[in-house]
Amino acid sequence: MKTIRQEFADTMVEVGLKDPKLVVLVGDISHGILQKFNTACQDRYYNIGICEPSIVGMSAGLYKSGLIPVVHTIAPFLIERSYEQIKLDFGYQKCGVNLVSVGGAFDYSQLGCSHHCYADISLMKHFKRANIFFSASCMEFNILFKQAYNNGLINYFRIADNAHDVEFKKEDIIVGKGIRVTEGNDFTIVVIGYQLKPALEAGKYLLNKNISVEVLYFPTIKPFDKDLVIESISKTKNVLVVEEASKSDGIYNYVLDATKEINDVNYQHIAIDDFIHEYDTYENLCRKNGFSSENFVDVILKTLKTKVLETIGQ
Amino acid sequence: MNSDLRKKIVDIVYNSREGHIPSSFSIVDIINYLYEHVLNIDPKNYKSSLRDFFILSKGHGAAALYVVLNKFGFVSEKDLKLYSKSGGILGGHPDVTKVPGVEASTGSLGHGFPMAAGLALGLKIQKKTNKVICLLGDGECHEGTIWETALVSKNLKLGNLVAIVDYNGSAAQILPLEPFKQKWDSFGFETYEIDGHNFNDLENVFSKLEYNLDGKPKVIIANTVKGKGVSFIEGHGKWHHRIPNEEEMIKIAKELYENN
Repeated sequence: MKTIRQEFADTMVEVGLKDPKLVVLVGDISHGILQKFNTACQDRYYNIGICEPSIVGMSAGLYKSGLIPVVHTIAPFLIERSYEQIKLDFGYQKCGVNLVSVGGAFDYSQLGCSHHCYADISLMKHFKRANIFFSASCMEFNILFKQAYNNGLINYFRIADNAHDVEFKKEDIIVGKGIRVTEGNDFTIVVIGYQLKPALEAGKYLLNKNISVEVLYFPTIKPFDKDLVIESISKTKNVLVVEEASKSDGIYNYVLDATKEINDVNYQHIAIDDFIHEYDTYENLCRKNGFSSENFVDVILKTLKTKVLETIGQ
Repeated sequence: MNSDLRKKIVDIVYNSREGHIPSSFSIVDIINYLYEHVLNIDPKNYKSSLRDFFILSKGHGAAALYVVLNKFGFVSEKDLKLYSKSGGILGGHPDVTKVPGVEASTGSLGHGFPMAAGLALGLKIQKKTNKVICLLGDGECHEGTIWETALVSKNLKLGNLVAIVDYNGSAAQILPLEPFKQKWDSFGFETYEIDGHNFNDLENVFSKLEYNLDGKPKVIIANTVKGKGVSFIEGHGKWHHRIPNEEEMIKIAKELYENN
């Protein structure tokens, strides 16, 4: 099956052939798969070197010259290491760029914390002119990139290494819109990235216990689709937010802010709250850090049980 | 020596109680020369796609840039009067979103040069012949992004990029850069050394430069004096970010008048 990273490379060819302004800069990552773009769009592909802040700074210069830059490398080096360049060269100066990362959260599960990036989403949220996308399917990346790449804003695309394998209708993938994947009345799960897959498994399991779960998926994190969340949580009054990202200032905060006028909501949150020091497969690190359908079920059942006990006064 | 421009720098700093006088004195002759003799930028059409690009990477010398922009019609006397004041467009560091003729918001050191290299690359991709000139501080050359960008600029053959280093000795107070010329030579730049306050030196070097799209990037090491033009401001002491009092203003005016 095609990886989402390969989809990124293919999308660059598709867009680059139509738009002569698209220029791709990389920091020695995905060099092989971008050769098709290099050949198809001559003089618009540069493997600059291993100097990420300078690459990001240079891309602001490209924008100033009238071109549309795409900068691609591993998330911690693209966002955390180059944050001042993003802040000043794009935020302060109101320039446009497409930052495309791989290796968000702990996708590089066997390489250790130097290659993990938990705070990218939280950091990028600070810019009013930023859009944040987290693509865990090829279709999402392709459609959202084409919708946003030339908007003159700071577009951050985090590409998941693992796909959720859910097929959406093309017309449901729109910048700034979430997707209601399953309908339910008892509990809402708000989820991003690959975690849609275990979230749907949890929902299926709970349905057998007569608990219906509404799963909301967000290919766009910012701008956040508040209306979808408000509508769902007004109904269920219970929500579990699952984000493969830092516990501080991620989509959980968006959910809290969106639903502050709704009374008596039970909130649960599964996210990353510290460095993950273990080396293991992605699946095992997910399981060990609470990102599993079993844990989602457990959290939801405990929440509902506590709620029942509170209702009957025990 | 551009005494009139120096007097204007002191006046706006005194008026707003903000600014870096010695850093501005050190570069004002260079910036004035660039706008008078090198850069093709029309103040009435300063966004023209045909314009040359100048980036002041050492943003704290902004007062020097502002008085030159004023001289050549980009900003008004009223703008200068409101320098670093409420309602003004000219701040302690330049803001591209506000100031006509400013190409980059700088201030945090090490940002302007990568942006200039990106501009040079963008123009090269589009086969445009606009010049890109970037003025760096020597202290700024402590930043890693300067040397990363130097490596990249050589590798990408950005012959349309010219860096000028205001070599006023600030870096030597902390972390010396010598042998400086050899460093740039070894990074593959076409390297020149001049007196940054001397018109003939500036004229001589800029008459030699070729802005090609497939050659060596250039660096001009401009030997300058921080605070040049007023004896008691010159050097690396207390005047770096100091505002003169009334008595000092009279002394400054007198020296500038005598040096004119």
